[in-house]
Amino acid sequence: MAGMTTYIIRRLLFMIPVFLGVSILTFVISNAAGDPIALIRQGLRSVPPEVLEALRAYYHIDKPLYVRYLYWLWNILHFDLGRSISGTPVIDKMGAWVLTTLELQIPALILAVIIGIPIGVYSAQHQYSKSDVLITSFALFGYSMPTFWLGLMMIIVFSLHLGWLPHGGAAGIIRIWWGSEFADRIAHLIMPLLVLTYVQLATFVRLMRGNMLQVLREDYVLASRACGLKERTVIYKHALRNAITPIVTILGLSFGSSLAGAPALETAFNWPGLGYQFVVATFSLDIPMIVGITVVITIMLMVASLLTDLIYAMLDPRVRLG
Amino acid sequence: MQRETKTESVAPSKRDVVDVRRRGASQWAVAWRRFKRNKAGLAGFFIILFYFFIALTSPWLAPYPPRSFQALYEGEAGQPPSWKHPFGTSRAGLDVYSEVLHGTRGDLYVGVGATLVSIAIGMIIGALAGYSRGTGSDILLMLSQVFYTIPLLPLILLFARVFSVLVAKGFGLTLILILLGVFGWSTISFIVRGEILRVRELDFVQASRALGASRWQIIFRHIIPNILTPVIVTATLLIAGNILTEVVISFLGFGDVNTSTWGITIEEGITYMRTEWWTPVFPGLATLFAVLGFNLVGDGLSDALNPRLRD
Repeated sequence: MAGMTTYIIRRLLFMIPVFLGVSILTFVISNAAGDPIALIRQGLRSVPPEVLEALRAYYHIDKPLYVRYLYWLWNILHFDLGRSISGTPVIDKMGAWVLTTLELQIPALILAVIIGIPIGVYSAQHQYSKSDVLITSFALFGYSMPTFWLGLMMIIVFSLHLGWLPHGGAAGIIRIWWGSEFADRIAHLIMPLLVLTYVQLATFVRLMRGNMLQVLREDYVLASRACGLKERTVIYKHALRNAITPIVTILGLSFGSSLAGAPALETAFNWPGLGYQFVVATFSLDIPMIVGITVVITIMLMVASLLTDLIYAMLDPRVRLG
Repeated sequence: MQRETKTESVAPSKRDVVDVRRRGASQWAVAWRRFKRNKAGLAGFFIILFYFFIALTSPWLAPYPPRSFQALYEGEAGQPPSWKHPFGTSRAGLDVYSEVLHGTRGDLYVGVGATLVSIAIGMIIGALAGYSRGTGSDILLMLSQVFYTIPLLPLILLFARVFSVLVAKGFGLTLILILLGVFGWSTISFIVRGEILRVRELDFVQASRALGASRWQIIFRHIIPNILTPVIVTATLLIAGNILTEVVISFLGFGDVNTSTWGITIEEGITYMRTEWWTPVFPGLATLFAVLGFNLVGDGLSDALNPRLRD
């Protein structure tokens, strides 16, 4: 496994430029919006001079931008993301927000894989049949759907008109749905989860169908059929194994794109995760918060893509040796 | 004339022979013929044509000018679809039908324009990465990978917000176009680099180099024709993605308030969407079918232009 170790090291080293790139970009552009202290003073009637002095020292306002960035980088190595405009440390908020976002993203990804793979295989097995056409167009619509808009449509129908489900948020505030606290969370989760699952499902179905069609044309499938193996064995034991490997790469990619797209879906459902909070922070130009959330999202993306690559390298030796 | 009879004896299937007689089978004619056979792709092609037609003629087709709240003064705000207002009017007095038509122009402008910017950047960086060797190539490849990994939407939102603070007005949709283009080039550069590395090692390219073909001759005769097809396919899918992202940006309120886009109309319809469902529904449908059209064409093209799938 010597190849694997160097592969992991190479892969870990690659995370450094990505992290630096994103953090420098976010840091510079958000600081370009204006003097952080002037932004804090907006809406305050009068600020005592000593407070102003303390803020100046805190933000190292007299130093050039790259020194401020280095200070920020030094702090982040000590798990300190700075304080938001409202005064709370940014890092304190992150845990809850990350969990809220993952509460939506991870079940959606799992459901999409579990449902998408069998549907894709079925669709490939019955290529050009009526059910295949139906499945393909269903997937194509999911692929082309503005996620947040589908969410809005579901809110109009299922919560504003039928009143079956709550129209936003992650938990009931005025009214607890379906009795218990746990059931209430489920009730809030259902619609955003369905929307996200459908959109991701489309990707997996399309990919699985394409892979399966390609694999079914291979000689070894023909050979195993010629040997008189049952169709079930050919499909599920021999063809599926090869068709499923590329799915692993898409797993990380799909998670990444849906995480990056989180601002839209979470805003449509008022789901208080990272994406929603990012939109809020960006509107109020809360610089430490903006940089903090972007960095956390980037780290999550990098971890997801690292895990995917490692799993892929374990499955396919050509990757780690190449 | 003689050449055609020759082809006839070589041609493997009857259909090809008929087509060869009709016109000299250039690469593009072959591709178009294959594309035409794909019904879904052809449907997408007509959808796109329809959208471009609307984008070009929207100032004459739409009964109201862009961002006009005139229906409010006519006492017709918040009305359901009718003959006068086919898609209804919003509470604030926007004629949704006119907004959807004007939005077509704005969204296609951003979708196509951003893709062109991405192609330009991606081609240059991909070509440099493919042609240079050693550290330079590694750095360019890493740059592409960084842009491929970073969370694009949050960064674009941040840039759009900061620019709207710095440059209060006058930037508008072009800013969104540039941002989407500047952030979205990584896939193109991967393709270009990969094709250059592949094509320049092919036997016939090596042979023409051995016969004294210059670097530019090889680029124009061999590399560019080979790059063109995968870039066209990716670009079509990229347009679809850019339109989606633009709708998200203006839905979240980071777009241009003074230009009609589908996203902004959806956003303005949210507050009263329980009773006035038509305000968010129609621009969303417009987005869905535009993206669908480009995706269908992209898929159709990738089937038609992929020589490995040729039957």
